[in-house]
This record gives sequence, C-alpha cells and structure tokens, in this order.
Amino acid sequence: MQMFSTAAGRPYARNVYSPAPQPEDGELAQRILAAGTRRDADAETELCRRFAPRIRLYGLRHLRSEAAAADLVQDVLILTLEKLRGGAVREFDKLASFILGTCRQTVIDGRRGGQRRERILETFAPTMDAVSEDSDVALDNSRLEHCLQQLPERERSVLVMSFYDDRPADEVGAALGLTPGNVRVIRHRGIERLRRCVEEQRS
Amino acid sequence: MNTPCASPIAETTLAAYWLCEMDSSDSQAIEEHLFACGHCSARLQRLANLGAGIRQAVEKGAAHAVLSAAFVRKLKDAGLRVREYPVQPGASVACTIEPEDDLVVSRLCAPLVDVQRLDLVFEHPAAGTRHRLEDLAFDRNADEIVVASNTPFVRSLGSTTLHMRLLAVQPDGERELGLYTFNHSPYTR
Repeated sequence: MQMFSTAAGRPYARNVYSPAPQPEDGELAQRILAAGTRRDADAETELCRRFAPRIRLYGLRHLRSEAAAADLVQDVLILTLEKLRGGAVREFDKLASFILGTCRQTVIDGRRGGQRRERILETFAPTMDAVSEDSDVALDNSRLEHCLQQLPERERSVLVMSFYDDRPADEVGAALGLTPGNVRVIRHRGIERLRRCVEEQRS
Repeated sequence: MNTPCASPIAETTLAAYWLCEMDSSDSQAIEEHLFACGHCSARLQRLANLGAGIRQAVEKGAAHAVLSAAFVRKLKDAGLRVREYPVQPGASVACTIEPEDDLVVSRLCAPLVDVQRLDLVFEHPAAGTRHRLEDLAFDRNADEIVVASNTPFVRSLGSTTLHMRLLAVQPDGERELGLYTFNHSPYTR
C-alpha cells in the first residue's frame, strides 16, 4: 500500500507513515558509543555507508550543488560520529531523525567549510573513505541517451525541461502550454518509460 | 541490499519532492521517511540519477527535443554555446555547426494560436528518410517551435538538405503550417 499520493492535487503526505527505524541503526549507535575513543571502525564505516547517500540526496535537493552536497555529507557524518562517541545521542532508535535534524541545521547554519572542518576531516579520514556513491544505482549515460531518444516527443520535452535544472510542473507547463497536472502525468509516464528502457537494456 | 519498504512513497511523490513542488511540511514528512528507509532513498537516488543523466544529455547536445525559447536562453546563460536558426514558413537557411557549438536550435516560426495538435515531420531526401514526431507540446502564444537537434547527428552530416514540416492536425484532416529548408554544410575553417 502506498501512503503518499498526488492524486488529489496537493496533499502529498497526509497521515505520513514513517517506517520503523531498522534496529541495526540503534545497534550501530550503541557500538560507536561503547567503543568511545578506541573506535569501532566497522560500525562507523557501516553508519557512513548507510547514511552518506541519504545525506547527499538531501544536500542535492536543498543546495543543488554536487560540491555542496559532498561537503554536507562529510560535515553531517563527522558531527554525528562526534556526538555518538561523546554520548550526546541518547535515543539510539531515532538515529535517522537525529541525522536528518543535523542536515537541516547544517544547511540553515551554512557552516560548511572552514578550519574546524579541515581539522576534524583528518581525524575521520579513514571512516570517510567508506563514503562513495552506491554503484548499485549508478547509471550508464549512453544507454540513457539512447532511451531518451525513444520517448514520445511530448514526454521528452517535459523530462528535459523538468530535469535540466529541476523545475516544478507549473513552470514547465507555462513554457509548453500545458497545465501543471498534465505535466505531472506526462512526466510520470516519461520517467517510467525511460526507467524501463534503461533497465531492459541493462538486463 | 535494502529492506523492502512496507509503505513505499509513490513515484509521483518522489518526483514532486525532488522538483520542489511540495510545501515545507509535506517535504519534511517525506524526508523523515527517506532518512529512515534505505529502500525509498535508493529509489529517490535512481530518480536523481535519471535527472542527472538527462542534464548531461542536454549539455552534450544528445537530447533531440522540442523546447521553449526561455529554456534555450537558460542554456545559454548556463554557458552552453547555442547556434540558432530562425526560419520563416517556406524559407530556407544555410546552416552549419562549428566545433565550439554545444547545440544547434531551429526556430520554426508559425501561427499557432488556433492549433489543437501539432506534428513535426523531418525529411532527409538524400538519405530517403522521413520521420514524424506526433503531438508536440507547444505554447500557442509563442508563434514559433524551438527544436534542438542532436549535435552528434548534425556533426556527422556532409553537405545536404533537410526539411522540417509543421502540420496542424485537426478532426477533419491536417494542414501544413510551414515547410522549412536547411541547407547544411560541414564546418570548414
């Protein structure tokens, strides 16, 4: 069952369902705290591997910059590990919410960069090495280009104008003589068709 | 790798989130879910990757598409070198592509205000090919259709003539809005 919907036009997240945090998150947090200054490298690496992609997406969504998103990943993970090691995180089962809150605060504060960051990056360098893009979802761009050309013209126009610099449906619709609702429908069909084509070629 | 989600976020909602179509409280609710759910965050990652791939295709000139004049201005503002050819109905233009060009755009002028459905036909007489794009998205008040060509294809052309033909499709048939002729020559210094 899908709890989120766009069918009614607006409310996307009424009666929002938040999945129960995976127990592994809490276990990781406990292991990092228990190790303290001795460090549990495996637990820290797993935490970074798990949350780095989510933080990066948050950064891309809010900052629209690969470099800024990469900085955010490092800053948030470093801060999270510091807090965990120091025992400042009390509710282990809400680790995901803690990290999200740290993302929000970091973006609001705009406190990326600076000397403090350089200093603590050295401390955490081995753990940060584990942070890399998930190859499971990497994309072959030449395949995508081929599939993009196979789309119906209307879908291609909408996808290009939507995703070139991430524009909402009302803007794209105004430029192409379509209603926002129509853009969303065309966009959804286009995404599905494009994804199917890319995955078929992959398999 | 990720545990399946018992209540996955709909694809349309992921796209709406990514493209900033939600209000703040809805976005925050989505983010709470995404941070706690590896499955849905991986799905959002795939969507983001598709978007990045589309962006790269545009920048390489590999996305042959009908766009808008404002969108082309945006590409130029972003630093892409765009070669534009405005053409009136029935007219022809001498055209080429230079090594530094990222994109070639044809601006087909036409009265569109009363057009319900618009098709575009590409003809390459020397190659004996004819390709029809059906049901374009277009702004009736724009008085032009902006077509971005596939840059690698244009670069591969020798001296040749190409035609584009705009057709208004109506319940009682179709009428030609304009024939546009492109006399292409490869770039020579």
